[in-house]
Amino acid sequence: MANVLILLILGLPWLGALLVWWVGDQRSKAQIVLAILFSVLAGVASLVLIPFASNSVALNIPLGGAFGDFTFVADGLGIYLAAIATIIGSLAVIFSVDYMRGEAQLGRYYALVLFFIGGMAGLVLTSNLLLMFVFWEITALCSYALISFHSDDPKAVYGGIKALIVTQFGGIGLLAGALLIYAYSGSYDLQAFIANPQILPPGVLAVTAFGFLVAAAAKSAQFPFQTWLPDAMEAPTPISALIHAATMVNAGVYLLARFYPAFERVPGWREAVVVVGVVTALMAALMALVSNDLKRVLAYSTVSQLGYMVYAIGTGGVFASQFHLMSHSVFKALLFLAAGAVIHSIGTRDIRQMGGLGAQMPLVRTVFAIGALSLAGIPILNGFWSKELILESGSAHGPLWAWVMMVICAGLTALYTFRCFWLVFAGEPRSHLHGHDAGTAMKVALIPLAVGAFLTELLAGPFAYILEHTVPLMEIEVGTTLSILEEVVTTPLTLVALAVVALGLAVWWWREKLSGLSEALAGIGRVAADSFGFEAINRGIVNSTNWLSEKLRRTQTGLLNWNIFGITAGFLLVLIILVIGG
Amino acid sequence: MTLSLVSLTFIAVIGLLAIGLYALLVVHNLIKVVVALQILAKGAILGFILAGRINGQIGLAESLALTVIIVDTIVAVIGLSLAVQIRHHMGTLDVSALTRLRR
Repeated sequence: MANVLILLILGLPWLGALLVWWVGDQRSKAQIVLAILFSVLAGVASLVLIPFASNSVALNIPLGGAFGDFTFVADGLGIYLAAIATIIGSLAVIFSVDYMRGEAQLGRYYALVLFFIGGMAGLVLTSNLLLMFVFWEITALCSYALISFHSDDPKAVYGGIKALIVTQFGGIGLLAGALLIYAYSGSYDLQAFIANPQILPPGVLAVTAFGFLVAAAAKSAQFPFQTWLPDAMEAPTPISALIHAATMVNAGVYLLARFYPAFERVPGWREAVVVVGVVTALMAALMALVSNDLKRVLAYSTVSQLGYMVYAIGTGGVFASQFHLMSHSVFKALLFLAAGAVIHSIGTRDIRQMGGLGAQMPLVRTVFAIGALSLAGIPILNGFWSKELILESGSAHGPLWAWVMMVICAGLTALYTFRCFWLVFAGEPRSHLHGHDAGTAMKVALIPLAVGAFLTELLAGPFAYILEHTVPLMEIEVGTTLSILEEVVTTPLTLVALAVVALGLAVWWWREKLSGLSEALAGIGRVAADSFGFEAINRGIVNSTNWLSEKLRRTQTGLLNWNIFGITAGFLLVLIILVIGG
Repeated sequence: MTLSLVSLTFIAVIGLLAIGLYALLVVHNLIKVVVALQILAKGAILGFILAGRINGQIGLAESLALTVIIVDTIVAVIGLSLAVQIRHHMGTLDVSALTRLRR
């Protein structure tokens, strides 16, 4: 049964992608119906799969033994992420009906979204490292193609290429790790490797561990690769919600969580993960505080929240990180889709031109407020529970300085979230732009997510149960939903974190009285608005690459004989190396 | 001194590869380039058969050789048809004159 379901989860979106493309742009109604049908069916299949969770191979596609069998395992880590990918994917498709209405080339759009959904589900369900790399790159390719969907807009093309190149660094890390594991164990089976990581010599294991960390950092937009995600905001907003908030950017966190049992004893690895998480969370929160673009604020907050998850893994809180991943997917998709409704209605992303939109679009204001409160970590909403769980795990197993930083970051989160909500929806209108409330398809996508932001913490118990039973190496603390939630409520540290969150809100509330403070901190704000110099480093790398290619251009003569000479010389060089080395 | 069949074939492989590569290095006529590629590919096919015989996996070697023959035929067909078109449009078959895609 599980094998059929996995085939459906992967196959339905891909089949849908083919059909949407085949139907053609002349029949855009049929395209939309097909896209919704196939994504929703995949979502249903992924929900049905959850009771079949186990850590044995559920689907095995033998491929002549050249690259190992292509195996799929539906264990606790994989099925939840597959469910998130397909369900939020189908909601994003439904939202797109309103958001993308009247755009040209919708076939390309829907086909790529469906292709992405299948690829993401495959990435988290496969247990073959090589196949994982292939799915990893499929998601990167779809991300690139959808960021640059408006291919006549130079900014969109620039953002897409930047995302593709930066995430490629991660791909190289993953491929290098996978090949090293294959070279020493003779198999691409990741379960076998995780169960027995000593098969690699310590030095090689360390290289693999840090290669995977680079892969995860690039994919999840962590320090020092965080610059691609804000520029990816040129994508249509449902794409930002699906790929750049709820699913693909989580792949890095998933990778770290998946391989945590294998790498936790590598010296310095956990510390490095903690440092990456803390630095990213703090830097991105500061940038979110000074950004004036609605989607960029949300993008920075995504980077910051991903930093929380990475930090949680570094402190051993794999369950906390995956739980926050689930909460974050729901409330951040909600925030992005609500922001999409705002942008679609008034036609700008600049929050300085917004203000007072709450009266014109009450439903969007309500759901945005729910998402924002969840992001800020206000009790009852799902973001509160998972963030407190992370902080708790951090205080128990991580260094104190990191915990203090993360608590400060929680306060900053509340501050920038409230600033963003206030500037968009409250106060007096600052321009003549007039908004209208969300359309039917938008409501269909927004309301389930808003309800989810209240309810997904109730899944904590079953989630922990399945993780404990199907990922035995994780050492998950089991508990029912009630005991997990009770643990959060009764910990005194929760009060500290809540006090800091309240402080963040208070700083915004009394911002006029605190103007002296904000002037004193203006310097930090300017550096943050300049992305802490990382954009300058990026530009430097791009410029030096351009310079180098201009210099190397002379070797590309286009003369056949010269090229043959190059090939022959390279071949001889390889032969000589083989003879000397062997 | 007698040479075994294996070493004779090995010499033939090296010879064909060397002739093919040398021809590719020096010729300028597009049709000669196609001929040089053919020689190179024949060396590769013979190499596969030789390797299969040494390893005792002649079946695998034969299937690979067959694949190379097919690919090599396609290369020849497309290469020669390109040569016809290039001659038609550019009036020359000299590859060093063909460094631009546009006239």
